[in-house]
Amino acid sequence: MISHLFKLIWNKKKAHALLIVEIWASFMVLFGLATLIVVNVGNYRKPLGFTYENVWAVGLRSNRDTIEVANKLQRVVDRLKAYPEVASVSRMSSNFPFSANQMNNGIEYKKRNVLAETYGTDEDFAKTLDIPVPIGSWYRNRDSVGKYTPIVINQKAKEGLFEDENPLGKIVSDKFRVVGVVNTFKAKGEFMADKPAYFELVKASQPWNDTVLIKVKPGTDAVFEAKIVKEIASMLTGWSVEVDYLTNSRKNQHNLVLVPVIIALIVSGFLLINVALGLFGVLNLSIAKRRGEIGLRRALGATGSGISTQFIGEIWVLATFALLIGLLFAAQFPLLNVFDLQSGIYVTAIIIAVLIIYAIVTLCALFPSRQAATIQPATALHEE
Amino acid sequence: MITLQNIEKVYRTSTIETLALNNINLDIRKGEFVSIMGPSGCGKSTLLNVMGLLDEPSKGTVQLDGQAVTQYRDKELARLRNQKIGFIFQSFHLINDLTVLDNVEIPLLYRSQNGRPRQDYAKDALTKVGLSNRMKHFPKQLSGGQKQRVAIARAIVGNPDIILADEPTGNLDSAMGNEIMNILQQLNDDGATIVMVTHDEQMAKRTHRLIRLFDGTQVL
Repeated sequence: MISHLFKLIWNKKKAHALLIVEIWASFMVLFGLATLIVVNVGNYRKPLGFTYENVWAVGLRSNRDTIEVANKLQRVVDRLKAYPEVASVSRMSSNFPFSANQMNNGIEYKKRNVLAETYGTDEDFAKTLDIPVPIGSWYRNRDSVGKYTPIVINQKAKEGLFEDENPLGKIVSDKFRVVGVVNTFKAKGEFMADKPAYFELVKASQPWNDTVLIKVKPGTDAVFEAKIVKEIASMLTGWSVEVDYLTNSRKNQHNLVLVPVIIALIVSGFLLINVALGLFGVLNLSIAKRRGEIGLRRALGATGSGISTQFIGEIWVLATFALLIGLLFAAQFPLLNVFDLQSGIYVTAIIIAVLIIYAIVTLCALFPSRQAATIQPATALHEE
Repeated sequence: MITLQNIEKVYRTSTIETLALNNINLDIRKGEFVSIMGPSGCGKSTLLNVMGLLDEPSKGTVQLDGQAVTQYRDKELARLRNQKIGFIFQSFHLINDLTVLDNVEIPLLYRSQNGRPRQDYAKDALTKVGLSNRMKHFPKQLSGGQKQRVAIARAIVGNPDIILADEPTGNLDSAMGNEIMNILQQLNDDGATIVMVTHDEQMAKRTHRLIRLFDGTQVL
């Protein structure tokens, strides 16, 4: 019966060309959307690598003040540490977690190069964000001896630079010495890809790392925020002070990822509804035009459910033709390594898109095919 | 072979009730070639549909090989139609998107017959009706007589016991009609039981028995 359906559809391919194009286009849209979702879900399932609850980022901008900037920053850090509401304080570069800022650098070890996210942080960073360090330890100020700056790398950077080698103590790019390895650090939130990254020790004398992360004790509220802002403003005349709660910054970062996905979902949803309505209409019309054939098939031995199955089978065959063309296009993405994504992501997206297409065409065919099953053979044959 | 007892068929709409068949009693024996005649609208095709299990009688019993089939379910009726009955229609009812060979194979599809033997049976049937050289043609490429021969091949491909023909020569000129009639007679000579609805007295004379209907009632 399957070969019979293939023959029937193949012999009517010209009449079905537009339907095939419609299903093919739907598949391509679904494939793109599914890829986007699979990538983001895959990223989401990997651990963030740090905790952000009760952590505030205090951005200090010196504006036109150029005198003893580093000293002033350090004084603020010391003052913040003195508050009983504060559990931990850390100075870092402006690309603090969930911020819009990004810094990256190429690092190299034995001719293996990796482009890595770069974070300038002090020795209390791991404590402030509860970052576990499974290999080695987080750097201390005393590690900064000689010409090498201590760095901590993440697992991705370790894989890229050292593969199976022990990274501890190794010199990278002729200026860094690896002292520790963390698992993941997804500064842009759960939806960020786990990319290579390294953390470089910020010295107290450096004036440009002007963000202070403070971990406050649970229950600390905006009253304390106002208090520290006021105090910092009195300590640093002419500076601007801005406090971001990492929980809020995280939401903003999520929105940056989720809003385009949701818009794409809505647009694709409308497209698929249109395609589904079109298919439904075409099938209804086709059944109305093929009443004689339905009567004939019943006369020749088809049951009502057999007729229903035949119409669903036909739309599946039609979808299969469209999907085969779609697969030719979709298969290029993993083969050509487009967007540098793993093949598994594309394969999963293809499977999802194929299943959704079959589900849609089945849904569209269900009602018309049931209608076809109820056609009385004697009446249908007489009409012809 | 086919026995009809007290068959009545009423078509009802919300406003009107039409008695299409009234108290029909018939016994078609194995190997018979029976023709049914009567004016348009007298119930000939309805009677054929009831015999062919395509339509349910409002009253009465249909027996096939001694078994009452009136209460059979859709699946059982479909099986009987497929295995015991071959249909030939006035307007051929060929599927234009399938080749001649594919059209003839259709009854065997509903027997889950495998591809190769299915094709062989269909080729044999087409050879019997003299169309072995038109297998790959589409119905649109054939004349009326050839189309009807394809329809006959389709009716006999499953080797049914009974062939029900609804005005098989109605759309053909007399030469083509005679050709079709010759084929039907040959099939009957080979053992097939044939019931044929016709308007043509000449064709009816070539059958063993004539049944006349008038306003749904058997008058002969």
